[in-house]
Amino acid sequence: MRTSLIETEQVEAHLLGLSEPGDALVFEATLLLNPELKDKMYWQQKAYTIVRQYGRQQLKQEIETVHQQLFGRSEHAGFRQKIMRLFAKK
Amino acid sequence: MNNTAAEREQLFISLYKNVFPAVARHVSKMGGTFDDAKDIFQDALVVWYEKSTDRSVNNDKAYLMGITKKLWLKKYQENNRLIPMDGFDRELEEESEPSESRILNFLQTAGKKCMDLLRSFYYDELPLNDIAETFGFSGVRSATVQKYKCLEKVRETVKEKALTYEDFVD
Repeated sequence: MRTSLIETEQVEAHLLGLSEPGDALVFEATLLLNPELKDKMYWQQKAYTIVRQYGRQQLKQEIETVHQQLFGRSEHAGFRQKIMRLFAKK
Repeated sequence: MNNTAAEREQLFISLYKNVFPAVARHVSKMGGTFDDAKDIFQDALVVWYEKSTDRSVNNDKAYLMGITKKLWLKKYQENNRLIPMDGFDRELEEESEPSESRILNFLQTAGKKCMDLLRSFYYDELPLNDIAETFGFSGVRSATVQKYKCLEKVRETVKEKALTYEDFVD
């Protein structure tokens, strides 16, 4: 892997708490001496947040699609009726 | 297996068929509507998906029902603040900053391939082997390299965009 990717991997290990204790110490020392690395770490953390938001958004869409299928397509009519009966006015 | 969109679709169809009738019955008994049942069940599925390591239909009916009941209580009693919550539902409410949504929208169109790969690693937490296979990499090694390349791309995009949409920076 090229150097920048190795650094990205190290930042990941640090942020996700996967580093060996010795490596973690070395990394923290490097951080003190290298503001660019600190900057990288900051934005990488933001990148994970965005990826999680993306994942959740996509998952919600997938679930909604399933819902539309079950309550829209004729092959699931029996299921739909069973549910709708529960909400019929008594 | 729930690695691909098609496999997840089958999983959610099974969960709907197995669990949603009980959820709907509960919500209806408590005076809620069909839409209440739908909203609560869909939120419960997201919580379940994010928390469970073994995502199989059979073991999880009781767990899903439990989440549903808590979410229902929360929905109807949140103004009173009577029910102590254990945190999982609060996570669902994380509102993203406007600039975060803009960055997300941008990445969705400009970098969907990378976002889908990263989603499999960090959100779906799929095994490396499965990711390599699903995305057509020759092996775990090249999938890992591509993951870091994508992560760098997203990191640089986030940085560049965030400095333009200023409320993103803490």
